[in-house]
Amino acid sequence: MDAIIYGCGRLASMLAPQLVQSGYTVTALDSDMSRLDSVVEEPQIKGVLIADPMMHDYLQEAHINSTELFLAISDDELQNALVAQVAKHIYNVPQVVCRLDSPQLQQLYSGLGLEVVGFSILNLFNDIQQAIRLD
Amino acid sequence: MYIVIVGCSSVGYHLTKVLLTAGHEVTVVEKNQTRCQLLWDELGSVVIEGDGTDERILKSAGTARADVFVGAADLDETNLVACQIAKHVFQVPHTMSIIKDTKNEPLFEVLGIDVVVNATHLMVTALEEGVPGRPLLHLMNPRVPDLELVSVSIPADSGVVGKRLDEVELPPHSFISLVVKKDGANLPSNELVLESEDEVVAVTMTGEEHTLYEILTGV
Repeated sequence: MDAIIYGCGRLASMLAPQLVQSGYTVTALDSDMSRLDSVVEEPQIKGVLIADPMMHDYLQEAHINSTELFLAISDDELQNALVAQVAKHIYNVPQVVCRLDSPQLQQLYSGLGLEVVGFSILNLFNDIQQAIRLD
Repeated sequence: MYIVIVGCSSVGYHLTKVLLTAGHEVTVVEKNQTRCQLLWDELGSVVIEGDGTDERILKSAGTARADVFVGAADLDETNLVACQIAKHVFQVPHTMSIIKDTKNEPLFEVLGIDVVVNATHLMVTALEEGVPGRPLLHLMNPRVPDLELVSVSIPADSGVVGKRLDEVELPPHSFISLVVKKDGANLPSNELVLESEDEVVAVTMTGEEHTLYEILTGV
């Protein structure tokens, strides 16, 4: 089973070892070498350094054609939206997860069939309400 | 027509001016504050400062009543998200976008962007055409992957000069579609004789184009 993680931050470095433990072969993509290195620590995790004009070539280098799982979790939600839709609609990856932080984009892309994750203003709102015991 | 454009660098700027001159109503959304001020001086109230991927900004630009929406920003992801908001949130009937990464074209089309202008491909083709000698031109980016539509100019010393088309052995997946001579375009026929400076338009595969080129231009 192959998984691709697009965007290497703290989230990716927590997720990658977990995926390896669950039996995935993980390929991590990032445009920053040091961020990539922070995720690629085990032999089961492969890193691919990406640069702008050849995105599709890097995705193919990461075997996107045969991957089971694609996580678009970089800090740039617009890039996540684009690359997640590439994975879903061009390479037909069975499971695609897309991180979006703006509530409007979360709503739009959930409606368009992406599996969306991200900070939820509504949850924060509820948490704050509870914290200060406001009814 | 009411047209909303996102991005006002060179393409967005000139498009805005052309459309205004043609009598259309235009609003252009630009993120960069300095650029906005300069544009405001010249174009006036058609400029809105803000992020074209923010639904609220697009709402204030009147996207809900737009007939046409254009993504003309510098990044493909900005144009894609802006067009998808226009199409799905504001039901704009006609969305158009420029793209920089040539390989993003199929995605934009699958997602229902009505007109996708492959900016890099257009520029590369134009530059390629400008190189002296004009060896092999890519005429368009066909929908089928690996399929190429090319044009080759026959040099005077080519081995195919004076040959009939049925005497020219082409690679298996290459087909001559048109032969443009000085007196005009000719559909290919077995008897058609190739001459120096003929433009041969052919359909070929990515892996074969070099062989085709060698056959048509080799001594």
